[in-house]
Amino acid sequence: MEQLIDDLTRGNVTEVKVLLASVVLALAVYQLLLAAVAYGWIRLPFLSAAPASWVHRASGDTIVLLTVAVAAMCVGYYGFDFGDDGGTHAIVAVVLLGVLATKILVVRVGGQLGRLLPPLGVSVLVLLGVTWLTSAGDFLGIA
Amino acid sequence: MERPSQGVQLLGSLLAAFAIAAVAVAIVTAKFGPTSSAERELQEERIEQREEAAEERRELREERLEQGR
Repeated sequence: MEQLIDDLTRGNVTEVKVLLASVVLALAVYQLLLAAVAYGWIRLPFLSAAPASWVHRASGDTIVLLTVAVAAMCVGYYGFDFGDDGGTHAIVAVVLLGVLATKILVVRVGGQLGRLLPPLGVSVLVLLGVTWLTSAGDFLGIA
Repeated sequence: MERPSQGVQLLGSLLAAFAIAAVAVAIVTAKFGPTSSAERELQEERIEQREEAAEERRELREERLEQGR
């Protein structure tokens, strides 16, 4: 697995991981704006709820794929590190994947559970932010 | 202001998502600078080649000096 990841990234495992995680975070912030338009919390003169909702779903699917790819690279190459260095990152990342899976489940089930989507979405954004800060942010010298 | 058609809104929102992703890639790549492994390997290779060339020149000079004696 390690060799496969190393070959795919041509030896730049951390750089590729940081890049993908940053794209995910940027798209997640955009997701918040799209959700706000879709729920009618923000009214924009050039965007209505239906297209915002559709793009929110499409962008969300991309985020899920990229997040799973980053997580697979992270665990496959570096393994689980719950020690001092990667402890916060590993714990927050596991919680993030759990909340993300719950959100997908709620979207699929729908009905009354739909009320949970806004807090779950905000939780995903916050957890993505913390996961990014404790790894990519550290690498880029921001955190 | 009249809203554009749904198709245009959809396309515009998707393009905005692509633009956001592209900007994120550009910013992060610029932040990496010459720290990427590929770039580092290339730099190391160039240094090695320069050192080898200098070594060859030194040997040639020494040979010429010995021949001159």
